[in-house]
Amino acid sequence: MGGRVSGIEISHVTKAYGATPVLDGVTLSIADNEFVAFLGPSGCGKTTLLRLIAGLEEVDAGEIHINGRRVDQLAPGARGVAMVFQNYALYPHMTVADNLAFGLKNVGVGKAEIETRIAEAARILEIGDYLHRKPGELSGGQKQRVAIGRAIVKKPDLFLFDEPLSNLDAALRMRTRLELAQLRRRLKATMILVTHDQVEAMTLADRIVVMKDRKIQQVGTPMEIYTRPANVFVAGFVGSPPMNILKVELDTAGPVAMAKLAGGVFKTGVVSAGLPASSDWRIGLRPENVHIAGSGDGLAATVEFVERLGERTLVYTKLADGTAVTAEDAGTSKVKMGDPVGLRMDAEAAHLFDGEGVGYHAPEVEG
Amino acid sequence: MTASDNKRLRDVALLATLVVLGFIMLVPLMWTVLLSLKSNSDLLQSTANAFHGPYTVENYAAITKSSGVFRWLMNSVIVSGLQTIGVLVLASLAGYGFARLEFPYRDQIFLLVLFGLAIPEQAVIITRHQLFTGLHLHNSYPGLILPGLAAPFGVFLMTQYFKAIPKELDEAAILDNASRFKIFWKVLLPLTIPAQATLGIFTFLGSWNDYWWPLISATRADMFTLTVGLSASQINFAQTSGLGYLMTQAVFAAVPILIVYIIFQKYIVRAVAGAAIR
Repeated sequence: MGGRVSGIEISHVTKAYGATPVLDGVTLSIADNEFVAFLGPSGCGKTTLLRLIAGLEEVDAGEIHINGRRVDQLAPGARGVAMVFQNYALYPHMTVADNLAFGLKNVGVGKAEIETRIAEAARILEIGDYLHRKPGELSGGQKQRVAIGRAIVKKPDLFLFDEPLSNLDAALRMRTRLELAQLRRRLKATMILVTHDQVEAMTLADRIVVMKDRKIQQVGTPMEIYTRPANVFVAGFVGSPPMNILKVELDTAGPVAMAKLAGGVFKTGVVSAGLPASSDWRIGLRPENVHIAGSGDGLAATVEFVERLGERTLVYTKLADGTAVTAEDAGTSKVKMGDPVGLRMDAEAAHLFDGEGVGYHAPEVEG
Repeated sequence: MTASDNKRLRDVALLATLVVLGFIMLVPLMWTVLLSLKSNSDLLQSTANAFHGPYTVENYAAITKSSGVFRWLMNSVIVSGLQTIGVLVLASLAGYGFARLEFPYRDQIFLLVLFGLAIPEQAVIITRHQLFTGLHLHNSYPGLILPGLAAPFGVFLMTQYFKAIPKELDEAAILDNASRFKIFWKVLLPLTIPAQATLGIFTFLGSWNDYWWPLISATRADMFTLTVGLSASQINFAQTSGLGYLMTQAVFAAVPILIVYIIFQKYIVRAVAGAAIR
């Protein structure tokens, strides 16, 4: 048994379609039983990376190892992976049971074993009642379960999910997300989810891989990504509404950086030592760190739009110089469009981004 | 008059028109059946005798004894059946290849196949005749079947149909460890059944009704197909005598096609409606 390396190792993987590069030297390690989400905008290369792992595309350069075995030159079926497709890709002319059995028959699993595995998957996913129906007779949510069932029965080393919830309506998506989280706990398997929906990534994954322009921008736990974005792209991409990014002048003479804005000087939590020399600093503040105060208190702004979400109110404002800033107020907020307001900022929660877009944050609080 | 009255009137008018048109189309068929049920001597006096009795099945009894019609019927079934199977097999394989495989000059070859649609049979009949003479294929089943296997329309239809099937199904099957042939056979081919039915029906009907090539290739009476055989009978009888007998042969020729129509009615309607929409 000894010597088996668990998990997925992706080293320097490069891929291009003709002259168009799609992935550029991607390197990533995924631990055994870890749930990782590839998150990024359309065209960032996340789906291609998933397809390379599955073997549906060939790598141009680099290596992929699954549990210590190099797989990038193996046939897709020999890699020990199972994939759940965005549009389910169930075989329409086969019953649910036949859909589940198809892959097992192809590798010579015995009839009794196939029946046991289908029964087990049907129990986990509660699809026992429609094993003899065809996919056309199922709802979107049921098809989704069958697609997951087809992956489960194979007992793969790695589950791949390609935007599995994107075809479901909002209510069903939320329920399926919850079920996926429960399933994951039950199966204890390594899983990769591709999504452009940050809520999916944040709620399901142990770690998120944020991608943009063919490269990995940051790998971290959901809260690391949220609270310590590696760069200005991650800061703006993760979080809804997005982080406010404002140009600032930085004073690093003291122990912590002081940010100079039109409405005053704010003490950030970012330690001055170690900050590079840059003339192009930006400050990043999440809407929950910008509060509505009375007019004349804090940064002067005008309310452009108010979004009442019930438990809180999002207030979209504009500063005198035209910079848009989103603030958060109580659910009972009385502000209206056109009101002059003041913005109070929790500057100690601010992030700083240098001219290259690299992020700097306040030190993590222990315990 | 209310709007619903108007609609009702329109529906009745439409229905009446369709009934009249349907009846007009049925007249020759009913005429054929009536004539086949009359004795030849009665019809020699006047074909108007067909409208009243006595009716007889003597022509049907005679046909089973003396005519070559069963042989021609069998020839037609063999030729049309094998041609249909051949076209379905070849067009499916070619369609899958053009839709899913990558090979050098694929698009150019597909274009070449499509050119076949523009070449009329008349343009190639002499060369084909010479070729089949050289191969000693005249008066044989291969001689009657082979030319119909080149079916550019079938290849085009199946290619388009395979292209319309989502590639994710192939990919799911690849991940399910299916071989390429298994993906074709077990996953994709069953999904093309509506197209296969359409192509099969048109091929079968086209082959069954084909007259020209069998007339040229089959010169021996035992290799006649039904169309050629009946035509030969018509010349023999010159429609002056034995008209009832001739009509019985026509009924015989029509029955298999009628059966095909009844079985595949759903697909024929769909195919024709689809063609009309396109």
